[in-house]
Amino acid sequence: MKKTKLGEFEELVLMTVVVLQADAYGVEIKRELEDRLNETLSVGSIQSALKRMEEKGFLTSEFGEASQKRGGKRKRIYQATPHARKVLQEMKDVRSQLWAAMPGIATN
Amino acid sequence: MSKTNKGTSPPSWSLKFLRFFLKSNYLEEIEGDLEEIYDDNLNQYSIKKARKLYNREVIKLLRPILIRKMSGNKQLNYIGMFQHNILVAFRSYMRYKSAFLINLIGLSTGLTCTLLVFLWVNSEFQVDQFHENSDRIYQVVANNETSNGISTNFATPALLPQTLAEQFPEVEYATTQSWTAEYTLSFKETNIKAIGQYAGADYFKIFSYELLQGDKNQVLKDKNAVVISDNLAIKLFGSTTDIVGKTVDFMHLKSFQVSGVFKSPPSTSSHQFDFIMTFEEFKESRSWILDWKNNAPSSFVMLAKGIDLEAFNVKIKDVIRANNGEPNITPYATRYSDLYLRGKFKNGKPGAGKITYVRLFSAIAFFTLAIACINFMNLSTARVSRRLKEIGIKKAIGASRKSLIIQFLSESVIISLLSLVLALATVSIILPAFNNIVGKQLVLQFSQEFGLTLLAILLITGILSGSYPALYLSSLKPVKTLKGQSPTSWRDLFMRKGLVVFQFILSIILIVSVLVVYKQIEFTQKENIGFNRDNIIYFEAEGELELKLQAFLEEVKKVPGVNMASSTAHSFIEGGYTGNTYDMSWNGKDPESVLAMEYMRVNHDLIETLDFQIKEGRSYSKEFPTDIGSIIFNEAAIKAMNIENPVGQTVHVFGENRQVLGVVEDFNFRTFHEAVSPAFFILKPTDTWVIVAKLQAGREPETIKELQTLYTSMNPGFNFDYRFLSDDYAKQYATEQRIAILSRTFAIVAVLISCLGLFGLASFTVERRLKEIGIRKILGSNNANIVQLLSSDFVKMILYAIVIALPISYFIVDSWLQNFAYAVSLKWWFFAFSGIVALLVAWLTVGFQTFKAAMVNPAQCLRNE
Repeated sequence: MKKTKLGEFEELVLMTVVVLQADAYGVEIKRELEDRLNETLSVGSIQSALKRMEEKGFLTSEFGEASQKRGGKRKRIYQATPHARKVLQEMKDVRSQLWAAMPGIATN
Repeated sequence: MSKTNKGTSPPSWSLKFLRFFLKSNYLEEIEGDLEEIYDDNLNQYSIKKARKLYNREVIKLLRPILIRKMSGNKQLNYIGMFQHNILVAFRSYMRYKSAFLINLIGLSTGLTCTLLVFLWVNSEFQVDQFHENSDRIYQVVANNETSNGISTNFATPALLPQTLAEQFPEVEYATTQSWTAEYTLSFKETNIKAIGQYAGADYFKIFSYELLQGDKNQVLKDKNAVVISDNLAIKLFGSTTDIVGKTVDFMHLKSFQVSGVFKSPPSTSSHQFDFIMTFEEFKESRSWILDWKNNAPSSFVMLAKGIDLEAFNVKIKDVIRANNGEPNITPYATRYSDLYLRGKFKNGKPGAGKITYVRLFSAIAFFTLAIACINFMNLSTARVSRRLKEIGIKKAIGASRKSLIIQFLSESVIISLLSLVLALATVSIILPAFNNIVGKQLVLQFSQEFGLTLLAILLITGILSGSYPALYLSSLKPVKTLKGQSPTSWRDLFMRKGLVVFQFILSIILIVSVLVVYKQIEFTQKENIGFNRDNIIYFEAEGELELKLQAFLEEVKKVPGVNMASSTAHSFIEGGYTGNTYDMSWNGKDPESVLAMEYMRVNHDLIETLDFQIKEGRSYSKEFPTDIGSIIFNEAAIKAMNIENPVGQTVHVFGENRQVLGVVEDFNFRTFHEAVSPAFFILKPTDTWVIVAKLQAGREPETIKELQTLYTSMNPGFNFDYRFLSDDYAKQYATEQRIAILSRTFAIVAVLISCLGLFGLASFTVERRLKEIGIRKILGSNNANIVQLLSSDFVKMILYAIVIALPISYFIVDSWLQNFAYAVSLKWWFFAFSGIVALLVAWLTVGFQTFKAAMVNPAQCLRNE
């Protein structure tokens, strides 16, 4: 967490990738996130987040299978690196510590 | 749902765009994603909506991280390369100083010409464009169909504009504008001669002459109003403020009230005047203009927006003939702002005019620059052997052809930039002299537009001169160049020689043109024009003098130094006082035909004063009182009327039968551009006001002084303002004079630049063949042989150029001389002379180099290696 920052949206995308596991490719990530966030997202926003995270070393990717629906073009399947999982964990810890420290609205 | 269905595949332009901008390694994945989403959307929505969503997705993909880099994905050190290029360029300038200087001098001279011509052309195009509604202001001229084609008259009936405005709703405003003339205006003791005109009430609404004081709707309404320029106001009142309402005297006859002050027309206006009086006053003081048969003032209309001119011209075609019964006269509206450049009418339509000169000089400037660019091409390709190793090594270590092209182009752009800076400095120095020649006030002003033009000129010059060397040098094979083989092929030599030939073709054409223009000017100055214009002064009898004309003339004749004096209403030169009528009829005239004739109202002795040559009959004489009102024709009139033995016959003109007294030889009362047209003298001493006096040669200043004293004593309140007829005659050819000076300068520049290039080439050839020369000398060749050997190539090139250039130049000067009805005849020696000049200049240039080479000591050049 010290070296490279993870944006809020990036964090959401990264977590979706982890959740989807072998299914984590562009359209599926978009669909999953849209369902969870209950808002429409553009391919551009998802893709730029993916590419940025790939550059920062949070994600690796490889081509998957092609399908008829995609006009014969292959999917690219994303996978979170161990570093990414570590960063996610750290962020969660920091957050829960902060939540615990917040007066008034502390969870029961 | 079938994938092959055209309607169901994603929008193709959008897909193309995506493929264009997206980084190629992301393309398959993202294109596939989009297609999958599109497919889902098709199941959910209409095709139209799905396509719309697809387009939106593509647009949203425009993110920096996803867009491909302009130069591909590989990152190179461009700035470093660029610095290196500049460094190499400067090193090569330093190393080959002579080539650098030749290019610098040539290009900067060429650019200087280009810049000057650009400034001039630009200002020519700005003339009359400052009127706010210039695209809607039209001048209405009168086309007259005569038996020898359509002639166009700028003078129209005075009531035409008013009638047009009343009859045609397309006309927003219309105005009559009288001719301009010099009148004396007085305020208290100050008498000023100023250029005045009469114009209709809407004048300032049509033309955007700026009113400093007064309302443009009101200033020309009141009959006694006069609107004066700020310059005139300062001369008359000493200030431009608080003068509205003041009274000025006009010709000491009438008083007018100043109703407004306008800013003097800018230098971009082709029409210049100092004051305006009203059309109402014009009609009252000159009632004859109300007759539709008399054409004198000009007509202007401003049409409403979006009016089709063609249709308007068809609509108005009968307006004049309906009022004056002349069946052949048709009004024709044409855009006023176009007339400055296209003021010459042919077959009733505007065509040529000053635009010819604009084109001519643009072409000359371009060619001068082209000649300089050719120098650059030739010198850099000729020197290729000097840079073979550099090119070879660069290529061997992986320089792409593109980067070499960029290197050579940047070299030529850098030298163009240096030349441009030099050219700008030169222009700013010689601009006053140039202004003097072209009669303008051009300034070097740095605006955004000018900056862009400079940039364009810079890039064009750089690329024009650099493209061939860049393409050529970068195409060389690295192995061969490193081995040191000279890559000179037959094609390169041909190209280089061709370029030299081309340079000299241009130079020779310029030399011939200059020679012919000079001869033609000389011809116009020396050729007999049919009357004497030397030592003749003329001036107007104003005010009271007009009434005392005869008495004044008697006094003038008594002044010592005045040989002869008379008076006239016509000044016998273009742009002076004229008169024109269609009214002439004679026995045997075809009633259908119309003949326009120039008429000259004259006094006794005028024919003798100006030495018109009587061919038949006799001149006017005081011994026959019946001579008053009688006619003397010129030969052209007799020919046009087709009558035999004219003397003694009567003709009908100006409402009377008049006797024909004689015939004079044809004389040029217009420029040599036009053939002498039919004209006649009519003896009308009371209708003349221009006094013509023939002075004794050698004592003109004293005589003029005495005339001045006489004038002011007999006519207090007016200034004596005389002109020499010969000066005004020369002024008619001012344009030709300017062209002569300019084309001479350009021709010299072009020839010099060509020679510079030739000099460079020759010195280079000599340098390369020095060893050969040494060996030849050792084997017994003498100096003459060597000079011949080295210069024969160049001489051959010039000969080719002469062979090609002479027919072209003949064609060009011949078509220029077609502009003149009276032209100098082309002689063979004009062409021979030009060819010899080119050959001589070229030979001198090359000869100097070769001679130096021939004198060299063979031991010296063979010593090394």
